Amino acid sequence: MRKLSFWVVFFLLWSAVLPVAETSAAGSAAMEVASEEDDLFHDPFDDNGREILIADPLEPVNRAFFWFNDKAYFYFLKPVARAYRFVPEDGRVSVGRFFANLATPVRFANSLLQLKIKDAGGELGRFCLNTTVGMGGLLDPARSLGLNQKDEDFGQTLGHYGVGQGCYLVLPFLGFSSLRDGIGSVVDRFLEPQTYLLSFWEGLGATGLETVNFLSLDKDTYETIKKDSLDPYLFTRNAYAQRREGLVKK
Amino acid sequence: MKKSFLLLFLLFFLPLSVSVEAAARRAIEQLQVDVDQIVEILNDEALDRRIRDEKIIALVKGRFDFPTMSQWILGINWRRASEAERQRFIDLFTGLLENTYAGRIESYTGDYGKENVRYVQEQVEGDRSLVNTLIVTKSAEIPVDYKMIRKDGEWRVYDVVIEGVSLVRNYRTTYGEIVSKEGFPGLFARMEEKIKELKKAPPEAGK
Repeated sequence: MRKLSFWVVFFLLWSAVLPVAETSAAGSAAMEVASEEDDLFHDPFDDNGREILIADPLEPVNRAFFWFNDKAYFYFLKPVARAYRFVPEDGRVSVGRFFANLATPVRFANSLLQLKIKDAGGELGRFCLNTTVGMGGLLDPARSLGLNQKDEDFGQTLGHYGVGQGCYLVLPFLGFSSLRDGIGSVVDRFLEPQTYLLSFWEGLGATGLETVNFLSLDKDTYETIKKDSLDPYLFTRNAYAQRREGLVKK
Repeated sequence: MKKSFLLLFLLFFLPLSVSVEAAARRAIEQLQVDVDQIVEILNDEALDRRIRDEKIIALVKGRFDFPTMSQWILGINWRRASEAERQRFIDLFTGLLENTYAGRIESYTGDYGKENVRYVQEQVEGDRSLVNTLIVTKSAEIPVDYKMIRKDGEWRVYDVVIEGVSLVRNYRTTYGEIVSKEGFPGLFARMEEKIKELKKAPPEAGK
């Protein structure tokens, strides 16, 4: 109970301190155009032309880390992931499921915190079924019953209660994040069983395996973005802002 | 007797009703026809590369509304742009997407079939439609939404939203930032350079 009240206070402080980064001059300018050229810019499926932006006061630092991650990706992570592809694809899909199943407490707790009772129940059901029938999470029989995984994390919980992204962050090795989501992922760490069951180095190894496994299944998403976009840094930043906003709304 | 009358009725009216339906076909159906065709062409290994590329680009060009997309992407800058700048942007953007798709075709590894695309539903609001699809793979389900606009009975795509990330929105913020720093000349120069880069990219890139 004490913990809960701590979080309530935390939420209140947080939302008071953080600047709202999402509405900006560009947003209102787009609205202005929308009213003037109604036909041209009318989109019933767009949010009134409001832009989803993320403040980026640390852009020079972020770009430096982006460059660093780019090199780490091409010269280290990707070659390792490529070599790791000797494991048959089905096996790798199972490894991914295993890690996802382990992280159930994160999704369960955050669904509850957002009062998404049905989703929380779904996560619990998935966990029970996949841990037993699905052999410790290696298989996903729950999905064939139409019970799909719902991505929830503490960053989304904060967003759900109106906390803005804060500023955009690119972290070395960890990748794209924001002040809000970065704090969120620290909190989520405490909900993962690995944190309690493994030593620091074992935990690092597990995270490494999870990352390499994920990359081995990925179809060169980053390569495609880098090849196609005029400015991959801006592209990924905007995609991050949109993706997270979309997840919070879900 | 009754039966043959029905048959006669059907013979007369079926062709009519089919053509009426074809003219008023729903966005989701028009989209599916093209996506199915693209997947089929992609998986047809006997097809000559050049013909395959041409066929797919033609399908994409027919189903996408590049001018509308261009307007949306430039956003406020569309109004500030001169007629010549607008046309230049449409041309460059069309070229950019064409070459992007050409690259995607090259790096396609043959692991998708029609069965991987699920057409979920569509919402229609006047001349706009939002079509929700799902790409279903072994490990995940990726929601891909198409925003479409109707012109002369044909539905054309003006935005693709993948996992909540809108292509147009993303281009708009990225291009907007470039225009505000470097103006239209800067943006056009960068686009030209990108097209050149994509054109000479080795076919094996991205594998």
